[in-house]
Amino acid sequence: MTTSPRIAYAGMTHLGLCSAVAAASKGFSTLCFDPDAALVARLNDGDLPIVEPGVEELLHENRLRIGFSSDRAQLADCDVIYVAPDVPTDDAAQSDITGLDLLLDDVRRNVSPDAVMVVLSQVPPGFTRARQQPGQQVLYQVETLVFGRAMERAIAPERIIVGCPDPSEPLPESLGAFLGSFECPILPMRFESAELTKVAINCCLVASISVANTLAELCERIGGDWGEIAPALKLDKRIGDYAYLTPGLGIAGGNLERDLATVIKLSKEFGTDCGVIQAFGANSAHRKDWVLRKLHETVLDGAVSATVGILGLAYKENTHSVKNSPSLALIRYLAPWPIRVFDPIIPGDVVNHPNVTAATSAIDAARDVDALAIMTPWPEFRRLRCRDLAAIMRGRVVLDPYHALDSVAARAAGLDYRTLGVS
Amino acid sequence: MLIHQYATPKAPKRIVVVGAGGFVGATILRAFAAVGPPPIGLTRREVDLLAPDGSNALKARLAPDDAVVFVSAIAPAKTVAQLMANLRMAEAACAAFAYVMPAHLLYISSDAIYADDANPVTEYSPVEPSTMHGMMHAAREMMFRAEYRGPLAFLRPTLIYGADDPHSGYGPNRFRRQAAKGEPITIFGDGEERRDHVVVEDVARLAVRILYHRSAGALNAASGVATSFRDVANIVAAQFVPRAEIKSVPRPGPRPHLAHRFFDITGLHKIFPDFHFEPLAEGLARVHWQALQARSVESP
Repeated sequence: MTTSPRIAYAGMTHLGLCSAVAAASKGFSTLCFDPDAALVARLNDGDLPIVEPGVEELLHENRLRIGFSSDRAQLADCDVIYVAPDVPTDDAAQSDITGLDLLLDDVRRNVSPDAVMVVLSQVPPGFTRARQQPGQQVLYQVETLVFGRAMERAIAPERIIVGCPDPSEPLPESLGAFLGSFECPILPMRFESAELTKVAINCCLVASISVANTLAELCERIGGDWGEIAPALKLDKRIGDYAYLTPGLGIAGGNLERDLATVIKLSKEFGTDCGVIQAFGANSAHRKDWVLRKLHETVLDGAVSATVGILGLAYKENTHSVKNSPSLALIRYLAPWPIRVFDPIIPGDVVNHPNVTAATSAIDAARDVDALAIMTPWPEFRRLRCRDLAAIMRGRVVLDPYHALDSVAARAAGLDYRTLGVS
Repeated sequence: MLIHQYATPKAPKRIVVVGAGGFVGATILRAFAAVGPPPIGLTRREVDLLAPDGSNALKARLAPDDAVVFVSAIAPAKTVAQLMANLRMAEAACAAFAYVMPAHLLYISSDAIYADDANPVTEYSPVEPSTMHGMMHAAREMMFRAEYRGPLAFLRPTLIYGADDPHSGYGPNRFRRQAAKGEPITIFGDGEERRDHVVVEDVARLAVRILYHRSAGALNAASGVATSFRDVANIVAAQFVPRAEIKSVPRPGPRPHLAHRFFDITGLHKIFPDFHFEPLAEGLARVHWQALQARSVESP
């Protein structure tokens, strides 16, 4: 191939949009296709349906190389077409791949015969091989999107994993040229290996998180401080500086749970042992309720009346998503008590609660509350001054699972400050 | 975990407590009487489930709209004969329910159904009884699950104490009786094993909530606070003047298989967010006061 390949992304949700912007930032002409004309119109107006640090700026910088369209005919001009819709999960963390299949079929019918299609969505092992058709190349590429860090990871991946029919054969020239621009190791492997690599990555992450959560809980009981332990672990080369060792409220967001569910399903189907994976899930379920347990222990148990302040409704900072939001999960179980809520992005009316007040600011959410729970560590919450909180709250209890506040300052302000991993 | 059929509590048309003559059953009966129309209490006098006509006798007293609490048991079941007798009682009840299916059934089970090493115990812990008593409750749960087709709830209390408890198992009841007789409170070894204790009135309050919500599923009745037997003994000892003596005695055998038992009661917080257990020290004080009152009535 002598000219630079033209790249397309089909499915303009979080994964497709961020990946397309990253492709354009590498200098490639990029088509952003979605069959939803209304969504495309919105994107053409610069109105992004996602919140992701850096995406707006990069889109603006590379706007001339990016085209948004719902016109299928434009797919025929592209050399590499990524099919990249986010795959939804249900409450049992099972994927619904109906939308992906529909879009893949739609794309198939409209690409040129020598184009390469690449599935980028989250798929179960076996998906890609089952969708091979004569005369068309459908490959699979592992995505490692992280909400809040999606652009950073899309632009500079650690490695690129490609599932293909025969890993000993070179990648199609257009795809090879495109992936080469990322200047990172490219690992071709058979379809099933690539699909399982994605699952394996997430299982390793969950293992680290589960270790952190299990031992952080022990720290809370025996006088340890996980914050002192984790850095020591990261200096161990077998564990590493980037290990997921920050305790949290279980695992959330859907993708990690989805992969655990995939392993359990496959293990049951093929008779392999998945006890450890099930244990990860049980530990996660236990830790998810940390704030609820602490609220009962500190304030709600025996309280005739108490008001609870909730800071953060988004699933995590720097996203607009409330799916799997620990905050909303908590609020479900606080019906008997008035609550005050605030989130910098999510409006208070998403909350289903019989006695909720949508506060105008973080400080306003803390006004006259008996306990304050910081459920999403938004940057602006990290800037809150503990003495301001102490002055405006009626009670003293602050539950800060993500350690957004300075614990020393909180205690100095007279707050009964609780965070994960510290007794 | 429990699921409510009624999000807003609603009194059942009629409540029948099978096993109302026992310590737990009588307390549950009183709890229902305190909040709504008088419940029907069936004791062994009215319905002997081990009698040849036990099933018919129960059937004759049931109506399809009834909400039934089944608490009748020979407890603790320690022998094979006691196990089998308890299963025959459940068998008779199942036969009666097959003929007149109550609108709702609550079975008072036990935390003894769980594996010994299930810490912290939740409603999702493995059912793996290590005792005859635990096996009895696990088997009865399965029998009711198999034979009763309506909304079925299991309430699984941990160690229960209360003024009227006729048993003197190791723990608050025995300690109180020993101290009342002027004897030392005896603990095994250092009494360091930690257990969760719930007062019988709290178990009854949960039973009321479950019936009023027509809940189905399982719920543990545990406070979430595990206290060592030594600490329980200290609380009880301090209630007496002069303070009762606490004496350590050698264990009758090796340290029990179940050294500590902790409960995670998040499930309770979710299903009944405003339910709170009486703290152990307060419950023991109240039971002590009740016992003193009873004694003063007995010996005027």
